[in-house]
Amino acid sequence: MKNSDNSSSSLDSRFNQTLKNVQGLLKGRSIPGKILLTRRTDPPEDPNLHERTPSFGRSFSENDAGTSDQMDTSMGSEARSTSKLNSNSTTTKLKPSYSNIEIASKDVQKSPMGLELQILQELQKRLRELAWSGVPPYMRPTIWRLLLGYAPPNSDRREGVLRRKRLEYLDCVAQFYDIPDTERSDDEVNMLRQISVDCPRTVPDVTFFQQEQVQKSLERILYTWAIRHPASGYVQGINDLATPFLVVFLSEYLEGDIDNWSISDLPADKISDIEADCYWCLSKLLDGMQDHYTFAQPGIQRLVFKLKELVRRIDEPVSRHMEEQGLEFLQFAFRWFNCLLIREIPFHLVTRLWDTYLAEGDALPDFLVYIYTSFLLTVRITVTSFALTLYTVTCLNFSIAAIIFFPLAMPVLCE
Amino acid sequence: MGAYRADEDYDYLFKVVLIGDSGVGKSNLLSRFTRNEFSLESKSTIGVEFATRSIHVDDKVVKAQIWDTAGQERYRAITSAYYRGAVGALLVYDVTRHVTFENVERWLKELRDHTDSNIVIMLVGNKADLRHLRAVTTEDAKAFAERENTFFMETSALESLNVENAFTEVLTQIYRVVSRKALEVGDDPAALPKGQTINVGDDVSAMKKVGCCSA
Repeated sequence: MKNSDNSSSSLDSRFNQTLKNVQGLLKGRSIPGKILLTRRTDPPEDPNLHERTPSFGRSFSENDAGTSDQMDTSMGSEARSTSKLNSNSTTTKLKPSYSNIEIASKDVQKSPMGLELQILQELQKRLRELAWSGVPPYMRPTIWRLLLGYAPPNSDRREGVLRRKRLEYLDCVAQFYDIPDTERSDDEVNMLRQISVDCPRTVPDVTFFQQEQVQKSLERILYTWAIRHPASGYVQGINDLATPFLVVFLSEYLEGDIDNWSISDLPADKISDIEADCYWCLSKLLDGMQDHYTFAQPGIQRLVFKLKELVRRIDEPVSRHMEEQGLEFLQFAFRWFNCLLIREIPFHLVTRLWDTYLAEGDALPDFLVYIYTSFLLTVRITVTSFALTLYTVTCLNFSIAAIIFFPLAMPVLCE
Repeated sequence: MGAYRADEDYDYLFKVVLIGDSGVGKSNLLSRFTRNEFSLESKSTIGVEFATRSIHVDDKVVKAQIWDTAGQERYRAITSAYYRGAVGALLVYDVTRHVTFENVERWLKELRDHTDSNIVIMLVGNKADLRHLRAVTTEDAKAFAERENTFFMETSALESLNVENAFTEVLTQIYRVVSRKALEVGDDPAALPKGQTINVGDDVSAMKKVGCCSA
């Protein structure tokens, strides 16, 4: 919005500052995810290590610092697709088997199945590392399906699994959505009404989303998801979260600028495949943050608390200042966590940001805390004379975000 | 973005909440009042958002801190916390969607459960510009407001009809309560004049006087 005023060099330096902030924060975090230092702008951490093992070595060395059992961002899609309840124990069991290549080779001797698993896990890990820095647009649909564990990593099985999943989605729509209101409970009628109020005002600044067929697709995806996830049901903001998937999976069929797309150019069966992919990917994404959308949204409240604590630890004066101003983190950061910054940054940059989100996998919620801390501290640097008030935070949200994230699109464009 | 001054001097600071069903136009009422902006492309409000604007009442500067809350039921667990300290409320429904008017009763109950009994409440029928789609009559709403002892106005954020009036009236009434309270040492909560109805389009000239703070 306002970034046109800024010279590209100041954009670059601001971006580099932000990146350094994030990476600096990540190094100190107590709940480690996968940490990547692959950008050219990095100060070299350990040049010897880089030479020896250009890809894995770095992340291993970073991971060694970790202690939490929540760290595994690179677990195979099979593990990721198990229910949330089991995922922690699965993670701890799996972790030792691939956190070190020597151990891996011992496993190989034990069983030939172990080899395949090891290779898959290493590939998944490598994929996450690469995706973290940005995925080229033409590969994005395939990569996102893999990162979310929706498409199986084994390419022989992929077609079959996707076909089955897409049929399953169609069945769900027929069973839950394509029925008269008389067969719905009062709550379901209310939920559908809420969704139909929100679909027309989803990303309204992008004209593509004003097409009626797009809004209908969105409505089917959201309602079907809501019915099948009764613990949370539909919560405002989830509509925003479906849009990156819709755009990415449509990009496999529609070319050129999104402003020139017309969904009616596509045959009905393609649309339903795309919808199904959106549905499943949205489900996978939200599986990792179930309590963000249940009653009183405890997951988000917890993250807002973590954000507040992290800001206090890093920048005590800014934290004190905000307290004196009566500036509550919940007032501005709630939406950041609820909509994953979709509301704050220009829509055409969202998919690039999500490459990194999805590469973080299960560590995403904690990763968000670090991103937003950096976001906030960058606002503090930009706003002169320390005038962080709710006004500056909320009004500058958008323009500052544009400045921070615009250069993130660069690595992909340069390839 | 509107360039209102955030830290100007004021004599009174009043917290006002905007509540009502999803999609009735709460956020547009707020942006019309604080920045003189209206957007057909507005997004749903997540959690709570807020804006301020100062107006003059008598010779005093009254600063309104207006909290705009998400309409979805799910958010009430969070938004109801923000009712605390509110001295005024605009309870908004959409004159073209009857169900939003039916829900007013629930909103009113929630409001009264969470706020001081002195709170000034105005029932607001928004989207009055959509005359051909009207589903709630002015008479029904007026009768309801009288029964519930709230103020009442119909507005159009799009046409900027009565938006100034609605907010100004609420703020003025709060000011009257507060200044009377300051005079009377014996604090009488029943002293608030309620049940007055302000007719649509009555005081259009008032709009020209204000609007100082929208850039």
